[in-house]
Amino acid sequence: MSVNFSPVHVKIGKVGRFGKASLPPMIVDSSVAAGVSPAPTTTQPARLPLQRFRVKRIASEVDRPLRGRCQTSPASPPFITSSAERSIHLIIITLIFVAVTSHAAEVIPPKPTGYFNDYAGVVSKEAAPRFNEQLAQFERETSDQLLVVVWQTMPSQSSIEDFTQRTFQAWTVGQKGRNNGAVLCVFVKDRRMRIQSGYGLEGALPDIICDQIIRDGIAPHFRAGDYERGLATGIDLICKAIRGEYKGSGQTNLERHRGTSGPFSFLLFLFVLVIFFIATRGIRRRGYGYSSLGGPFIGGWSSGSGGSWSSGGGGFSGFSGGGGFSGGGGASGSW
Amino acid sequence: MNKFAIGCVGVLVVIAFFVVVAALGLMGSYNRLVKLQQSVDQSWAQVQNVYQRRADLIPNLVNTVSGAANFEKSTLIAVTNARASVGRVQLDPNKAPTDAAQLEQFQAAQGQLSNALSRLLVVVERYPEIKANQSFLGLQAQLEGTENRISVERGNFNTAVQSYNTAVRSFPMNLIAGMFGFSPRPFFAAQPGAEKAPAVNFNFGTPAPATSPTGTP
Repeated sequence: MSVNFSPVHVKIGKVGRFGKASLPPMIVDSSVAAGVSPAPTTTQPARLPLQRFRVKRIASEVDRPLRGRCQTSPASPPFITSSAERSIHLIIITLIFVAVTSHAAEVIPPKPTGYFNDYAGVVSKEAAPRFNEQLAQFERETSDQLLVVVWQTMPSQSSIEDFTQRTFQAWTVGQKGRNNGAVLCVFVKDRRMRIQSGYGLEGALPDIICDQIIRDGIAPHFRAGDYERGLATGIDLICKAIRGEYKGSGQTNLERHRGTSGPFSFLLFLFVLVIFFIATRGIRRRGYGYSSLGGPFIGGWSSGSGGSWSSGGGGFSGFSGGGGFSGGGGASGSW
Repeated sequence: MNKFAIGCVGVLVVIAFFVVVAALGLMGSYNRLVKLQQSVDQSWAQVQNVYQRRADLIPNLVNTVSGAANFEKSTLIAVTNARASVGRVQLDPNKAPTDAAQLEQFQAAQGQLSNALSRLLVVVERYPEIKANQSFLGLQAQLEGTENRISVERGNFNTAVQSYNTAVRSFPMNLIAGMFGFSPRPFFAAQPGAEKAPAVNFNFGTPAPATSPTGTP
């Protein structure tokens, strides 16, 4: 059967040529039949007038809902839709998720703000700042960082030595290189305490001295229920043991860093701001999406860096870990 | 002819560029492997250090305890023998062991000493005059501190070995490691049976116990 659409008609449809039962008739262009490369445009079958009308009506139905929206351009509604902004959001969410879940394995208490931290409330309100200042002054004189932390009960299920060691390493008590830190941990309800010394203080505060301080100095007062006197005795004895090992610089670690980091952090903040604006300039023509994203970021950063400048005074000497480590030396005791 | 020459030079330049980049990468990886191996050796030296510290405390302990009247000799002999066997298994303190069997032997000897010590401390519980002795108390505190130091330094050693082994085994660097002879190092493993708490026999009634937990040394 041959079809007449073009000047040349071709007979195709032999049974068995391609192994099929029958082949529908093929429309072949004249140039193909002649063996020359085909023309770029293919001839379309003639459209019926009814079909054209139907296509047009469907198009108008699709158009109508779009006209109801404020904008037809792909610019953003109040929430961000562009792919670059979406990927940034995804990265931020992933980082927050990782930060939140990465500490779930082992309990490490958050870094303390001061030298004397009474989380159990066993010491009177006047004594706590006094102890804190005594320890801060000790760091100014000798550069040894001595921390006292009193908990009700140990926040971790592991042994007291393991917990104290991990906490010491996480808080990096003691100056970097000298490792002259010492920590006195007291767990009131468990009735256990431990003095742990850093690598650099193992000579002045060896295990025997720690044990003697605990057994003879602190435990008797704790047994009598006088925590304040026990802690005062403990602090005095430890300071007496380690005084003279190292010479101090007249400033605590936090004071030394706060002095130099002010202008540095301000410059860093400006630099980041500049980079941020350069990066967003190219995308701003997309709509008002980025200006709303930039606002809270800038607000957060300026308040963060402003906050660190304003808390210089107040009379409370804060603690900042100096980068020191411990090898596990010290002694535990109970009362 | 000009185009051909320029083409050749261009290809040579590209090849040279890639060779330089590869050499720099090689240098960086090799240096990193060396640094990791150095930290492993350093942690090993610390481990040896704290084990030696414990070994040095033993003679003092034995002297203090043997001064007490009627102290059970077999426990002391067990401790002294274990200390001697530790002295026999000497590993190079400057280089971490490359052979897992060597490390196991070392660990077994130290473990034997640990067992003998803990038995001694349990037996001492029965002698109140030793328990009240100031020098014994000091020694006990030192022993506890030393055991804690041992576990801390072993933990640090395992961490260092882990970083080194990861670098030596991960893909692009394991080729370089093979070329220059860096091989994975063995860890400290928990002793078999460590998960079971030891059965301790407190027999406080009799000064010369029949059921002593110390067997033949």
